[in-house]
Amino acid sequence: MKKLTLAAILGLGLMSGSALAASAWTGGDDLPTNPLACDGTPAAAVAKPFDGGVPTNPPDRKGKKITVVDVPKLIGIGYFNATSKGIADAAAELGNVDAKTDGPTKANIDEQITFLDNYITSGVDGILFAANDPVAIAPVLKKALEKGINVVGYDANSTPDARQWFVNQAQFNGIAKALVDNMAKEAGEDAGVAIVTSTFTTPNQARWIAEMATYAAQCHPKMKWLETVEAQEDNNLSFNQATTLINKYGDDLKGIFGMTSVATPASAEAVTQASKCGKISVVGLATPNAMKPYVEKECVKSVVLWNPVDLGYAAMMVLRSVADGTLQPGATSVKAGKLGDLQVINGSEILLGSPYTFTKENIGQFDF
Amino acid sequence: MSVAALSPGRTNLHRFLSGYGQEIVVALSIVALFVVVGAVNQRFLSDTNINSIFAGNAYIAIAAIGMSMVIIAGHIDVSVGALIGVIATIAGTLAVSGYPIWVAWLVPILFAIAVNAGVGALVAYTRIPSIVVTLGMLSILKGGLISATAGEWISNLPPEFMIAQMRPFGIPSAVWFMVALTIIASLFLRYTDFGRSIYAVGGNMEAARAAGINPERTVIGVFALHGLFAGIAGILFATQLQVIQSTVPPNLELTIITASVIGGVSILGGTGTVIGSTLAAILFACIGSALIFLNVSAYWLRAVLGLMILATVLADMVRRRRDT
Amino acid sequence: MTAAKVFRHETILAVLTVIAMIVLASLSDKFFTVDNLLNQGRLMAEVGLISLAMTFVIVTGGIDLSVGSILGLTAILLGVFWKNVGLPLPAAMFLALACGTFAGWVNGFIITRFSVPPLIATLATLALYRGLAEGISEARSVRGYPEWFFFFGQGEVLGVPFQLWVLGIATAIAAVILGLTPFGRATYAIGANEVAARFSGIRVNATKLWIYTASGFCAALAAVIFVSRVTTTRSDMGTGLELDAITAVVLGGTSIFGGRGTIIGTALGLILIQALKNGLALSGVKGDGTIVVIGLVLIGAILVGALFDRNRGG
Repeated sequence: MKKLTLAAILGLGLMSGSALAASAWTGGDDLPTNPLACDGTPAAAVAKPFDGGVPTNPPDRKGKKITVVDVPKLIGIGYFNATSKGIADAAAELGNVDAKTDGPTKANIDEQITFLDNYITSGVDGILFAANDPVAIAPVLKKALEKGINVVGYDANSTPDARQWFVNQAQFNGIAKALVDNMAKEAGEDAGVAIVTSTFTTPNQARWIAEMATYAAQCHPKMKWLETVEAQEDNNLSFNQATTLINKYGDDLKGIFGMTSVATPASAEAVTQASKCGKISVVGLATPNAMKPYVEKECVKSVVLWNPVDLGYAAMMVLRSVADGTLQPGATSVKAGKLGDLQVINGSEILLGSPYTFTKENIGQFDF
Repeated sequence: MSVAALSPGRTNLHRFLSGYGQEIVVALSIVALFVVVGAVNQRFLSDTNINSIFAGNAYIAIAAIGMSMVIIAGHIDVSVGALIGVIATIAGTLAVSGYPIWVAWLVPILFAIAVNAGVGALVAYTRIPSIVVTLGMLSILKGGLISATAGEWISNLPPEFMIAQMRPFGIPSAVWFMVALTIIASLFLRYTDFGRSIYAVGGNMEAARAAGINPERTVIGVFALHGLFAGIAGILFATQLQVIQSTVPPNLELTIITASVIGGVSILGGTGTVIGSTLAAILFACIGSALIFLNVSAYWLRAVLGLMILATVLADMVRRRRDT
Repeated sequence: MTAAKVFRHETILAVLTVIAMIVLASLSDKFFTVDNLLNQGRLMAEVGLISLAMTFVIVTGGIDLSVGSILGLTAILLGVFWKNVGLPLPAAMFLALACGTFAGWVNGFIITRFSVPPLIATLATLALYRGLAEGISEARSVRGYPEWFFFFGQGEVLGVPFQLWVLGIATAIAAVILGLTPFGRATYAIGANEVAARFSGIRVNATKLWIYTASGFCAALAAVIFVSRVTTTRSDMGTGLELDAITAVVLGGTSIFGGRGTIIGTALGLILIQALKNGLALSGVKGDGTIVVIGLVLIGAILVGALFDRNRGG
């Protein structure tokens, strides 16, 4: 009887597992994708009404000193140190903002919610966030809006109605195109490629992988996806996973995509230590400082990223504009200090720009 | 197990088998894994792959040696992962600030010994369970590390600092360390008075005291030794890659404890060997690599790992029951 | 064991909690408000439920490291049963709870039937259950639950968060069972000396099996509340929760060697940790600082308890 129950439950579990649709590349999500054209023709902009949320009876904050808390996905990694620096820079430039960054030490939805909840209670004027999960974070952000707090997201979005604006570093399909195009150029159109990502549950990474799969199928149909491996946000694990991929596929592996700012340098290190520089291309998202040694040694040719310092800076500037009332629903652009005018897309998102490709020629100019 | 090993009147072979039962199970699992995976994909057996499996995980095996001693003495340390993160950060900081390389290697190890001796003293003299003290230490080290570094990565490490990447006689130095330390530690545990007193304290503290052993001193000594091994592991961990993340490696303590336990160290104290824990650490590394080679869907990877741990433990339990 | 001895640690802890409350209230005027305190109750419900069962587990001298993974697995199954299998949500909830409880039973079965030490058994199922959650879900989230479902995690009854009622009632039940029933006495007896308990006619294995099953059930219940609170299911839910629960239980004075501990102590431990997390954040201490303080308090509280014990003892 007990065995029967066990078998029944296991069976049920497995059945329900296979009932889920499988996507082409492991690690992608199952949301609809929207690949860009192969030649880079920009998609026609679709005008969309403002779909963000609105705070309930916010006090008049125009020109007044405000306190702002920034709660990134996690603290203690290079990427969010950079966004946090941008936020601090903007706050210093504005002079009437008291900003600080605080958050969980691991990318954990529960802890992030607790942090936000505490800061709402402590009575901040504005919240900046990068969501660990777009849906899970929504109730607590809505609570902030109800209390009249200005809420702006960056890096990783929440459901639109849970925040006022979201500063989008670069669109998912744009990143996917940049990564796949660079890979095809460096490793060849028919390259066998593998992916090192953080975890399958990280929304941004899952989104990029899904977009990459669709874009590759459309524009580089001969590119062969071999495997996706998880490596958390862990340097040594990323290195071990990348090394195993290199050992497993031998000459069949021509390229590795690094999906995080941890996985990309670790993959480059794995390629270097395996003496496969030039034979295996590493293309990925990473901060320039971590990649300089590999790019200078010409082991890695292109690193794709937006400037996270600018991202934090823009988010802070947008929040100030919202608090001042100068950025209203329906606006088509917003002034963001030294970055100039930023364009509004998708109803309530502000686009930082196109993803940037760092190469040997320009990487020396960046320090973050 | 050690009691069985010492009991007279059995044949040498039998004594050997019952003394090293779990070690043999683990070793056979490794062999089986190599045969099966090698048959599926020959590249698994290539020397580069075997080198990377061993070199990439040697620091876990080395930390597991110290952990095994702590567990044999009847204690546990859940803060070891955080400690390794702290050691790596200190070592990296010293190395890039221009201190001589030997200072960057030694100071963090001494720091680890001092911290763990402190933990040992708390455990020994206040009788606070070690899991409580080390849970507390885990928080302190983790929070302290982030406060101090803000997660800033350490890069531009001097090449001569990278001890784990050196390859004396073509074999990565991390592997040399793993093999040498395992042999030294197991001889130490078996043939020195202090080594045997660790088993005695873990088996029965009051009996050990009656036999003239000072349990408090033994516990402090064990924790200090554990600090030494964690320190060496931390240095190898820090010098494996060109950057140091200056955060606490996630779940490292669980991996290390699991390696000790699967290697045959009884969580109740008093029995086990460090050969077993090193073999178990290698087994884990092999499983991690093998699952990728066998194309196990990455989604199911952790479930398979869990099942394999469970199977090893159950096999051990069944075997022990048959023995007695 | 006299009542005074049992309550000694709890008294110290209660005093410590009151002091912490006063200090925190003086640091931030937002701390000691009804809204904030009720909200904190909401946030600690999941860890709280798990800690209650964990108290029983640790009193028997065992440990359950798999609770965080059971929470993740139950959450995923809830979503999968509802969305992918197409069951009505109440049925999916019931079935998911059953599966979580069953996962706890499996722990107990492995521990009692094969005499595997609990630490090892649940270390293995920690990986296994989390792995099942990842495999079954293929890392996909299930979202879009109906509005009524959010009541469990976000609703209120008589102005008090729903899950705080659940936690309160569960605490009362657990306190009665552990403190006043033969089952509770058996639990202590097993932790104090398992062999002696067996010889004195206590059904050791059955008792342990019940306790681990209950631990699974509590984790599953916490999962439903958690899903309802955050409105989505993810396979990484509840990661690391086991350490939070163990910290609360141990801070509450339960001996990790078994045989000693109370539900009141666990409740106080929970409250103290939550108050510190919240109060320090409100008074401007950052998260990493708070982690350090909790570590110090854990060691400090146990240290003070141990010193008192020694003085009293001789």
